[in-house]
Amino acid sequence: MRRTMKGIALAAVLCGSAGSGSAGDLSVFDWAGYDDEGFFGAYVQKYGGPPAFSFYADEEEAFNKLQAGFSADIAHPCIGSVFKWRDAGLLKPIDATKISDWNSILPQISALKEVQSDGKVWMVPFEWGNTGLVIRTDKVDEATANLQLFADPSMAGRVSIPDGVEDAYLLAALATGVTDWAAMTPEDVTKASDFLRAVHKNVRFYWTDSGQLTAAMTSGEIDMAWAWNDAEVTLIGEDIPAKMIRRDDVGIASWVCGYVHLASGTTPDEEVYDFLNSTLSVDSGKYILETWGYAHSNAKAFKAADQELMASYGYSDLDAFIARSMFATTLKPEIRDQMIKEFERIKAGF
Amino acid sequence: MGQGRVARGIALDRQARRGLMLTAPGTLYVALMVLGPAALAVAYSFWTQTYVTLDRTPTLANFREIATDPLYRTLILRSVIVAGLVTFLTVLLAYPVAYYIAFHVYRRKALWLLLVSIPFWTSYLLRVFSWKLVLGYNGVLNSALIWLGVIDKPLEWILFDVNAVVLTLTHAWAPFAILPIFVSLEKIDRSLLEAAKDLGEGPFRAFFRVVLPLSMPGVIGATLIIFIPTVGDYVTPALVGGSEGAMVANLIQVQFGKANNWPLGAALAICAMLCVTIAALAAAALLRFLGRRIR
Repeated sequence: MRRTMKGIALAAVLCGSAGSGSAGDLSVFDWAGYDDEGFFGAYVQKYGGPPAFSFYADEEEAFNKLQAGFSADIAHPCIGSVFKWRDAGLLKPIDATKISDWNSILPQISALKEVQSDGKVWMVPFEWGNTGLVIRTDKVDEATANLQLFADPSMAGRVSIPDGVEDAYLLAALATGVTDWAAMTPEDVTKASDFLRAVHKNVRFYWTDSGQLTAAMTSGEIDMAWAWNDAEVTLIGEDIPAKMIRRDDVGIASWVCGYVHLASGTTPDEEVYDFLNSTLSVDSGKYILETWGYAHSNAKAFKAADQELMASYGYSDLDAFIARSMFATTLKPEIRDQMIKEFERIKAGF
Repeated sequence: MGQGRVARGIALDRQARRGLMLTAPGTLYVALMVLGPAALAVAYSFWTQTYVTLDRTPTLANFREIATDPLYRTLILRSVIVAGLVTFLTVLLAYPVAYYIAFHVYRRKALWLLLVSIPFWTSYLLRVFSWKLVLGYNGVLNSALIWLGVIDKPLEWILFDVNAVVLTLTHAWAPFAILPIFVSLEKIDRSLLEAAKDLGEGPFRAFFRVVLPLSMPGVIGATLIIFIPTVGDYVTPALVGGSEGAMVANLIQVQFGKANNWPLGAALAICAMLCVTIAALAAAALLRFLGRRIR
């Protein structure tokens, strides 16, 4: 899942790597836009500057680059990719005893098998968030809005969904009644594809970055989207009557991303773990919660952040929120391949 | 005598060596940067991707998939049609401009040519992006039409469509057509036109029987220069094409990116290259044939 908050994927691709003024030796291979010093303030304090960053626009680009021999110490995949990266030999296990806030991680997140399985920890979860139904409340009736509306003929040309296989199929899975993402069968995928095919008739465009999406929602080009939290935060910030629908009967999906220790990394562990610890700290959590609208994996950060804001993002009862959200965990490789293939066909009108 | 022959042998060798040295960087560069990757693409196209590893047993499975699945056929065909349309429109629009500069501009020709090249001063990507702003929902065109009272709701079909791709590409490639056509028109011996006039040909017949056939090399050159790169254009359909305007390059990119299936991507690239070669050769042959027929 891509979360190019600032819509600068293209710029990042053009720039390649932008390691500037790094103080330590650490190199971080990250999503474009994640070099925000608010995320690792403690590291900056100790080493006198940020680590050297290289950016990617999507995880497959990152995977291809790493497999082709690119080296860095730390990278930032989401749970759907961790096992693939591990199986390709790109990851080193993480020593959880060196992560000071390990026990404050939300239990539902630290229990994900992508975070730890077979007694090994593969990822320090950092941020998570939702993909949900975002509507213009002045154009779409909030009370009746649901996922089926994406395929409703009345919405022709008024909706946008992500140009990402996983995100699109999360919508389709929720809309077709799938309850366990990781256990989807080929038949479930076929059913989900049929739903997406119906949605395709209504799709104005498949959005590739949040900037493009929020601009279209602001102008009234589209009235409804399957989108990430930051789109809602941006729209509300611009006084647009928009809202992510978090009602129980409307499905919502969650993604979780975090930092992994790359096998190609050469920087001493101490510095690597200093960085990992700084991202998981309460300060970083409070910062990302309040300014980006994404959730953090440290449970204590939710208490430190502005409570009114947390309530408006639906985070006041975290357990209930997590329980009814579908997590984008690892798919079986053949199911993932089937989705990728069918999504391309659907987008081309087949 | 024996020594003389040896000496001459060395002299020739020296010249040959200099020639070799002069051509070596270019040849080496082409070999490394073009032939190498092309060979790699051919090799990849016979392999298969299995999860995180490559299966290097040669197989035709990728090509079989491309041949049997209508998705690939549609996209390759659409790319060829879009590129053909762009080429036709560009050449059609460029010819009068080139003609005017060649035959009716007497002073400051260089300045005129400089003017033609002005679009090149902006990056290709920015030009494509500007079209997105022009054609967009709240774009320049829609706002202007609403302001004029022609329409009361923004037109939605002008962006994210094949039309937008054709329009954008036609604009972006215009100078590439004007310059070769201009050069071939400029080379035409003016006395031939006088002769046509003396022999009683009207201006139209003189154009079709003398100017057009003689400028055919320029037209063929322009056609190839535009057709070949536009078939494989990736940025324009990605930015203004939407899902209806996607072309084969976008699908190839998906295979090398999100789908992580390099072998299928390589096979697609090779099929696209074959189609381009065939279409370009056919177009060139047709134009040459037409050029001869007119005479």
